[in-house]
Amino acid sequence: MTELYPFTPSGPSRRSTLRAAGGGTLLLGLGLAGCRSAVSEASSEPQGASAAPKRGGVLNIAVNSDFTPALLFSQSGQSLQHRLIYNTLTRYDDRLSPKPELARSWTYAKDGRSITLRLRDDVTFHSGRRFTADDVIFAVKNLQNPVRAAQLRATAATVTGFEKRGDHELVLKLTHPVNNLFDLFEFMIIADSETVEDAVTGKKLIGTGPFRLTKWSPGSGLSLTRNDAYWQAGRPYLDGVELRVIPQADALISSLRSGQSQLSFNVPGKSLGVVKSDPHLTISDYDTGGGAVYLGVNTTVAPLNDRTVRQALAWAVDRDRLLAQTLGGYGLASAAPWPKSSPAFTEAHRTHYSHDPAKARELLKSAGHSKLELPLLHLALPGDTAIAESLQYDLKQVGVHVTLQPTDLATGQKKLISQDMPALWTMGHGFAQVQPSTLAVSAYPFNEAKNTSKYRSAAYTKVVREAWTKPESGTAEANAQHEKISSILLDEAFLIDLVVRGQVQVAADGLHGVTLNKFSYLNLDNAYLV
Amino acid sequence: MRSYLIRRLPSALLVLLAASFLIFTILRLVPGDPATTLAGPDADAATVAAIRDRLGLDAPLLSQYAHWIGSLLTGDLGPSYAIGGQTADLIGDGLGATTELTVAALLFVVLLGTAFGVLGATSRSRWIRTAVRVTTTTALAVPPFVSGVLLVLLFAVILGVLPPGGRVPFLTAPDLAVQYLVLPALCLALPSAAVLGRYLKDGIERGLAEDYIRTATAAGVAPRRLLWRHALPNALPPVVTLLGMQVGHLLGGAVLVEAIFAWPGLGQLAEQGLQRRDYPVVQDLLLLLVAVFVLVQLLTDLVYAWLDPRIRWE
Amino acid sequence: MTSTTDLLAAGPPPAASKARGRVRGRHPYRSALSTARARTGLVLVGAVVLAGLLAPLLAGHGPTDQSGQSLAALGTPGHPLGTDDLGRDLLSRVLYGIRADLGIIAIAVPLGAVLGCLFALVAAAHPVADTVVQRVFDLLLAFPGLILALAVTAILGPGRVPVVLVIALAEIPAFGRLLRGGILVQREREYVTAARVGGSSGRRVLVRHILPNAADPLIVQIAVSLTVAVFIEGAMSFLGVGVRPPEPTLGAVLSQSMPYLAQAPNFAAGPLVTVTALVLGLSLIAEALNREIRR
Repeated sequence: MTELYPFTPSGPSRRSTLRAAGGGTLLLGLGLAGCRSAVSEASSEPQGASAAPKRGGVLNIAVNSDFTPALLFSQSGQSLQHRLIYNTLTRYDDRLSPKPELARSWTYAKDGRSITLRLRDDVTFHSGRRFTADDVIFAVKNLQNPVRAAQLRATAATVTGFEKRGDHELVLKLTHPVNNLFDLFEFMIIADSETVEDAVTGKKLIGTGPFRLTKWSPGSGLSLTRNDAYWQAGRPYLDGVELRVIPQADALISSLRSGQSQLSFNVPGKSLGVVKSDPHLTISDYDTGGGAVYLGVNTTVAPLNDRTVRQALAWAVDRDRLLAQTLGGYGLASAAPWPKSSPAFTEAHRTHYSHDPAKARELLKSAGHSKLELPLLHLALPGDTAIAESLQYDLKQVGVHVTLQPTDLATGQKKLISQDMPALWTMGHGFAQVQPSTLAVSAYPFNEAKNTSKYRSAAYTKVVREAWTKPESGTAEANAQHEKISSILLDEAFLIDLVVRGQVQVAADGLHGVTLNKFSYLNLDNAYLV
Repeated sequence: MRSYLIRRLPSALLVLLAASFLIFTILRLVPGDPATTLAGPDADAATVAAIRDRLGLDAPLLSQYAHWIGSLLTGDLGPSYAIGGQTADLIGDGLGATTELTVAALLFVVLLGTAFGVLGATSRSRWIRTAVRVTTTTALAVPPFVSGVLLVLLFAVILGVLPPGGRVPFLTAPDLAVQYLVLPALCLALPSAAVLGRYLKDGIERGLAEDYIRTATAAGVAPRRLLWRHALPNALPPVVTLLGMQVGHLLGGAVLVEAIFAWPGLGQLAEQGLQRRDYPVVQDLLLLLVAVFVLVQLLTDLVYAWLDPRIRWE
Repeated sequence: MTSTTDLLAAGPPPAASKARGRVRGRHPYRSALSTARARTGLVLVGAVVLAGLLAPLLAGHGPTDQSGQSLAALGTPGHPLGTDDLGRDLLSRVLYGIRADLGIIAIAVPLGAVLGCLFALVAAAHPVADTVVQRVFDLLLAFPGLILALAVTAILGPGRVPVVLVIALAEIPAFGRLLRGGILVQREREYVTAARVGGSSGRRVLVRHILPNAADPLIVQIAVSLTVAVFIEGAMSFLGVGVRPPEPTLGAVLSQSMPYLAQAPNFAAGPLVTVTALVLGLSLIAEALNREIRR
């Protein structure tokens, strides 16, 4: 190849080169110079400074993962749309006291073996069909079906008798009293029975909620439009809601910062620093818990069958550093699973284990170990990997050398539910935000009968059963039960809680009236944009 | 030409058949199945069993394979296992999005590549030629996941002129769609444009050095005419092969670029399908990608032969 | 097997068909490597490799030692490149990351090259084998590489092995096709015919005459493949299927830095500059060699 060609002195004139370049620029610039800007077009929030509720506007919500229709009746990563399309029977207030939704009122039988529900009679599904007691019966039976993979199936399964008294009164009969029936009512969406098979494939989602689904585009999100026949008069204020999937954190944040979206619960903790500096965005922290990060221990792997060794691990980890460095400081460093709003929460339990490497080494020594080598499984996601690395480092300081095993979600989940975990693993669990007994009957890692840690003890089973079947909550007796559960969890340390995580909401400052229920269903009944 | 096609067709089908075996096997080797991902982290054995039964995962592997091939032959791909919706719809939507992205990227590749090639080979300014060389070298040396994030930072965060991610379908609102397209298409196109530019530059330089061009130049034929009528066309045939290969690479590269820009195309679908062990979606999708690749290769060979009459189809 | 990273680093592919029957014993690469372009490339690659080799001497901290000092800025005393989210020294992570990367590509690329060449030799043996091998290459090229990477890692578990395997798989068709093409061209040359007529055995002709001359483009391809390998390692880390944490690789450090791009750009700076220098250097060398071969 020669560098000099005879042609150079009289190559294409500068003018023609420019012309060619200009043509290219014109083509490239076609979109840029177009009539609308995608950036400003998307942020179409109504203008005005008044803080009073205002009709109209479309709310754009940025989510990091798509909704999974097959998991509609199960708790999954993305449940925001549940309370937009559907309603539940009741909803908890901040103190876990149930408030009416589709159920206007209710009466518990004295023996706790049945409950009478009086239902609203002014509710219709998006299809126009009237909501009746049959829909509640269907909803409960639907959750009893194992195919639905509902975490509260154990509670739903205690309902074995249905007695209709007219169209809008229903008696549910239970095999034994349970104290988390209202957890079920908070969790259970009332879906149209006629279209339920279309619902779990995402074809048609019909509920009674404030918004109806216009389109689900797999991978990009959901479009919802106002339900003009919503049973709460004058609600919702919004004309529509768009849930847009933006998996990449930076893109998600810039969509919030540029006003393309006005709400998100998926800003990673470590990126909240950027958001905090933006005057147009507000961060609010729901302490009700989206779940907790824990270190799981397989109690059948020597020497982790020794409780002392497990306790040593619990002392070895630096929860505060973990919280600050991997979760951006959002959450509650805690040795117990409970968020502050839980009836089982106590400060003593939260701080039962603190970062004390000396004590950890001492315990290991008393158990006859100075150096251990153990595998630790974690999900191969950026946040989870950082948590695992942090734990690995802390454990190394007390002589526990950990090999990390990053795993994809499906494999991790399989190992979790088939009790196939290595010596250690770290993941998140839910269900500590509702009745404490629900944690032990519905969250698999804590299940008394069969859990991933393969921990079994008659005492734990007894305490859990008792707590679950006592109908009263908020009493001294209930508190004593919670105390017992907590002390077993802390003493046995088959599952070492690290940080209780709340849902962190990032919202544009013009957005008001947003709430979440205990299962992270988004409630926009009273939300409006100014 | 027909005999050429007939000769190539059986081996193309053979590749597809082998690919189907490979895809099916690999997917079954991956631990976990759609039932475990659907059952969720708190499921008991009964739940998993019920879902396995419902999805027909307990059937012998051979019959599952036969069932899959049958679904392909009848054209009824059935429902997706884990993502939701019909497999055909999911793939159709994804294909639309990816095609849009690939076509836009290809446009960038051709425009930028030609610009790089022509400027690099013929510009009188040493500065421009150096600039082109530096640009192409850099475009090749920066990984796409870095250039993607840098593009988002620059255009979406700092300048705020383009959306950082997402998609508006082209047919719905072309003017908006173009703006969503620019960044991912550019990110996808840059390396290929650089490759094309260098290739073209070499081709043009070689072409201009040919004796007949020298003669023509000496005879006073306008240089521009020589470039566009002779040197450039002669540089084209190998470039077409390259472009054909680049289509494959663009499709493959879409996985990462789609992840960065939240572009709901086939790459995202494949990744999501694999993560959730959605057998029908991943199987059909991967086979489709293999088929597209085989087809593009076939077409490339044909076009190459058509552009270069020295090659016969025999 | 196509991947994002495939061919991204490819300059004009080495032209197999142009390679001439060169007399053995000359050092064509020496002159190629003395051009300004190649020298720049050699200096860049040499600097990166040297930094990697000297990592234990240059790094002031262990690459996995954590501290409470997260996201320290550039020029922090004791941490010239700052620290990452877990308070690890970024200079150490980048230096050890280079080592890890070099270790991976030094195994993966030759592995892919050897396998690819073996395939090509098999193809050269018989027309039927040739067809089969060609279709195998098609299949490897047609498979979306990163999806394969996800699947391979899910099957084998994370670590260096799947990364090496995925890179090698990606390189097989490139080397295989080149050598196959080269052999086909050389076979038709006069000197080969002459050797054959002169009574040399088929194998002798292949080993003594065809291979040495068909191998030229492979040298260029090795340089190209090394850059591709760096890219694949990075892309796999980016998709969460890279080497086992906490071991640093350039790709891993870079992908870890992404959430902090706005907050702490220095987190990304080190691996970004290093990857770019390494790839740039390798592609300059590849380019210089390619020019020499095609001259």
